[in-house]
Amino acid sequence: MAGMNIKSAKILVFSTEKISDPAIDMAGLLKLYYPPTVYTISIPCSSGVKSRWILHAFEKGFDGVFIAADGSDCPYGESCTEKTGKIVSRTHELMKQKNIEPARLRMAAICSVCSESFVKQMKSLNEYLLKNSII
Amino acid sequence: MHGKILNTSFDALVIGGGIAGGEAALNLVNNGFKVLIIEKDLSIGGKMILLSKVFPTLDCSACITTPKVSEISRHPGITIFTGSEVRKIIRKAENSFEAEVIKTPRYVIAEDCTGCQLCEQACPVNVHDQYQYNLIGRKAAYIPFSIASPRVAAIDIENCTLCGACEKVCPTKCIDFTQETEEYHIKAKTVVIATGFNLFDPLMMPRYGYGLYKNIITSMQMERQLAPTRPFNTILRPGDGKVPDKIAYVLCTGSRDVTVGNPICSQICCMYSIKQAQLLMGALPMADVTIYYINIRSFGKGFEEFYDQAKGMGVNFIKGKIGRISEKENGNLIMRYEDINENIVKEAEHDIVVLSVGVLPNTDSAALFPDGELKLDPFNFVYQTDPLASPAKTSIKGVFVAGTASGPMDIPDSILSAGAASSEAMSYLIRK
Amino acid sequence: MNKKIGVYLCHCGGNISDYVDVEKVRKSIENEEGVFLAKTTMFACGDANQKEMVDDIKKNELDGVVVASCSPKLHLMTFRAVTERADLNKYHYVHANIREQASWAHSDDKAGATEKAIHIVKSAIAKVRLAESLNPFKIPSKKAVAIIGGGVAGMRAAIELSNMGCPVTLIEREHFIGGRVAQWDVLFTTNETGKELVTKLYNDLVKRDNITLFTGAEVISNKGCIGDFKLKIKIAPRYINEQCNQGNLQKAINACPVDVPDEFNFNITNRKAIYHNFPSEYPQYPVIDIKHCTRCGECEKICESVDFNQKEEIIEIQVGSVLMATGFDSYTPADGEFGYNRFDNVITLPQFKRIIELSDKKLIFKGKEVKNIAYIYCVGSRQIEGENKYCSRYCCTSAIYSAIQTKKIFDNIYNYHFTRGIRTYGKQEVLYGESLKDGDIYLQSYENDPPVVFREHDKTIVKINDILTAKREMSVEADLVVLVTGMVPRADNSVASLFKIPKGRDKFFNEIHMKLRPVETVIDGITICGACQGPKNIMESVNSALSAAAKSFSYVSKGELELEPIIAQIDKDLCTWCGACIEACPFDAIKMEKQDTKDIAVINNSVCKGCGMCLPVCPTDAINLIAYSNSEIESMIDALAG
Repeated sequence: MAGMNIKSAKILVFSTEKISDPAIDMAGLLKLYYPPTVYTISIPCSSGVKSRWILHAFEKGFDGVFIAADGSDCPYGESCTEKTGKIVSRTHELMKQKNIEPARLRMAAICSVCSESFVKQMKSLNEYLLKNSII
Repeated sequence: MHGKILNTSFDALVIGGGIAGGEAALNLVNNGFKVLIIEKDLSIGGKMILLSKVFPTLDCSACITTPKVSEISRHPGITIFTGSEVRKIIRKAENSFEAEVIKTPRYVIAEDCTGCQLCEQACPVNVHDQYQYNLIGRKAAYIPFSIASPRVAAIDIENCTLCGACEKVCPTKCIDFTQETEEYHIKAKTVVIATGFNLFDPLMMPRYGYGLYKNIITSMQMERQLAPTRPFNTILRPGDGKVPDKIAYVLCTGSRDVTVGNPICSQICCMYSIKQAQLLMGALPMADVTIYYINIRSFGKGFEEFYDQAKGMGVNFIKGKIGRISEKENGNLIMRYEDINENIVKEAEHDIVVLSVGVLPNTDSAALFPDGELKLDPFNFVYQTDPLASPAKTSIKGVFVAGTASGPMDIPDSILSAGAASSEAMSYLIRK
Repeated sequence: MNKKIGVYLCHCGGNISDYVDVEKVRKSIENEEGVFLAKTTMFACGDANQKEMVDDIKKNELDGVVVASCSPKLHLMTFRAVTERADLNKYHYVHANIREQASWAHSDDKAGATEKAIHIVKSAIAKVRLAESLNPFKIPSKKAVAIIGGGVAGMRAAIELSNMGCPVTLIEREHFIGGRVAQWDVLFTTNETGKELVTKLYNDLVKRDNITLFTGAEVISNKGCIGDFKLKIKIAPRYINEQCNQGNLQKAINACPVDVPDEFNFNITNRKAIYHNFPSEYPQYPVIDIKHCTRCGECEKICESVDFNQKEEIIEIQVGSVLMATGFDSYTPADGEFGYNRFDNVITLPQFKRIIELSDKKLIFKGKEVKNIAYIYCVGSRQIEGENKYCSRYCCTSAIYSAIQTKKIFDNIYNYHFTRGIRTYGKQEVLYGESLKDGDIYLQSYENDPPVVFREHDKTIVKINDILTAKREMSVEADLVVLVTGMVPRADNSVASLFKIPKGRDKFFNEIHMKLRPVETVIDGITICGACQGPKNIMESVNSALSAAAKSFSYVSKGELELEPIIAQIDKDLCTWCGACIEACPFDAIKMEKQDTKDIAVINNSVCKGCGMCLPVCPTDAINLIAYSNSEIESMIDALAG
């Protein structure tokens, strides 16, 4: 197994239909590679992610969860970053209670052209998950 | 169908079913007007549907055109005549035009054809495929191209030997050699001219040797080689089928050149050449691509960044004028050029040369109306009577121009121009 | 409920099938629960396949459809329309993106891409299993459009909408309309002046009773959405009565002691605090610049029309669509950039154009006659160090045209163009030819070696390493250096943030699709046109203005709009009323209502935008977003995890 094909972590991304999902699409268009075990579920706004969905993903075997937040570009309002942040901190608490390492859930604002930053985030989360033998 | 004359009326008559005509038709129909599109070709979609990817987004052209084409072709408010031409249009009065339209027979009952291509396999005749810009052949019974709309067969009667092989294999019995030319008398309240452009024919420039040397192709031929519906599954030079690794582009072929009668800049060749260069670097990572230019005109939104990206990828840009091109025995080409940066004449060898051919007017539009009623500009594009305040207005009231019929432009500019034409047509229709 | 699902896997002519083993995907999903048929196709979006899908759905009475192809941004609507044509409610369609997010993203790993595609399709199948029929809400759409910006683009769009029978409110921030074009003299192509063009449009505009024009007006708040935007407009007073005595007003202007830089002339001249830009400026009566007015009262004494009692007004309008035509700013060079603000004979192209117009017979600048003019191109555009990487498109033509005009109007002019490669695209090329014939000298700098402007013995010298003479060093002693400055986005873009219009990398407004939808934005009901979307010349601006007018009209022409039924739903039984959802909702779409014995939260369906911000804050998990319910999301997660 040594060499090229290191196993990659299974990551669930919550993307947003108008902002971060287009950036993830563009990462593909520009052939900015990231691990193929990164999966996306697209929703209208990152402030609408429920903690129970995240916990469900961990229960079902995802190694990491990433919220690709709208940030200041959110079409639904400026409060989005703050609200998504609250979801993450609330979920971190719940994860601690369930003995899930909180660092396995991350968020960052991914604007509609932030393809490179998305790929960086994926690589960094993947590395973290591999290094800390989460998987 | 026996060459009968049919009368029918519409709000708007759109001449040309390319991207500009299509956009104008959609705008009109989405606001409740009845539209007829007349398309000379066997498919709508114009030149755009045949392109590979588009600059500077590198969107797959077929992928973004097909939904539009599909929306146009199934909209209940739009009627489409393919393989048809307008013979003449007469302006009778305000809001009243009469057009004579000739529909040449397809020799296939379009409604019944399933596009199964059995006729193609059966047909023994082989001719140049105009939709692949003659890179390969096609049959006399054929589907124009795989994403054509309508995607139904046609018989190329000029080359057909009437052997009947296609009729025998057709599962729906839709081949019908008894079809005749039909003539329609159309009444419309307004007319949109979206007749597009012609590509410069490099045979007019013998010093480049196009037609003489097999490994010189036009940019449209390269475009086809790069398209998803490409003829080969890789990039080949036509002379010997070798995969090229030293590729040259000659910009301004037939543009900015008074010796061929076209003094103006074609506006798109720099960008499509840069795009093709990027695609080639992707398809043939080991290949060298050199672009010989006079000025790079990357002026639109995101264009300069796209040009920078090409330079970053390693495309060579040489400011130089090509004197002439000659062929070596192995089919490679020797380009003799003046290197402007160094002010000396140099020679370089390439194994394929792509001529970035320019945009010429489609002079069909002038003949649409009697007695030169439709005025042309000095370059034979449709004349815009009020280019700053009403760019879609022509010399005839109630007739509007969309897209490259009025001059060279890229896709977004064509869409904007079509938007302007439909907007003016709508206010003409509403205001009375 | 057992669904009969049809799955279509697209090759995308190789875009997908070159990297994803489409047949393997088909085999892996064909036995999934509910899958009735699974097919592969060369182009799912092609007409032939669409027809086949319609036939399949009808013949087999499918009630769930999945297409795995490119991004839903391209084709979700296409395939929803296919299901509708087959008489199946379009919300029984689910789109799986296996191109941008599988084949292209992982073309370095075919096995990985195929594996990912299988999971993506399985999760789409999981979602479609739970799909329910939904019907769009119909909301009334106010047949009226607000146009922000009264330059040529905004004026032209207003006239067109008025022609179509649509009422328009035209809102201009300045006290005079016409925008940038009013500042220009003779224009290329038609040889009419900018002022004539503006006058022509204005005269047409004021004839119409369905256009309301506000000058000195700014939108200060925006509520609502497509079909029903409620805008608050602040209208600044002019402090001058409309029916005024022009003679006395002129005397009042003369009497004003205030002297401030005149922005209309790009600060090359000064004006008074009571002013108009040029005699025929529209509206045709002056304004008092209250910021600079000292209230000395001199004007009041002379002219009875001056009225300092006028008050700022705030009005509210309701429109179905908003068309943005806010234009551009001209790039202001940094101090010392090519000698700007260091040497007094270095000016910008817009300033130069004003000087030409204001000069008479002789071209005089700062008391000296100008003969040698050096034009330095691409200032503020195509920057190597700076942020503006883009080409400003109009400046080559504009500079060359100004140079030709200068020679026509004045004697003994010598033009030297310091370029980075002339970009007179299209028919504008003939202008470049004319200029060369005219004897103008063209020099071209190397990409990383721009010309230098310096002073020597009281002379201003421009020096260049010239490409066109094979790197010879050339220098010109210039009486006037004209910096050919490009277009930059408006510095004050507060109105754009009111509407949350996204911006591109170049900071101009971003359209929804660069190629095919250049005037629409991701914000429903808002269109953009003219130079606020990116640099354009007048014809291009007007083309985009007319396109935007057609699009805005299509949002309001029918008087009603269909809205997506994707909204939040509250489970009455679970709701214990705490108010957290009201706090979270950015649209005031939730209200408290008494029902039976308890208070619960209730959603206003036509206001809810379906963002879902209320979902995670509910302590009893009583809120679900339609089509994104717990069961749908969790079954998708199960499929992806499997």
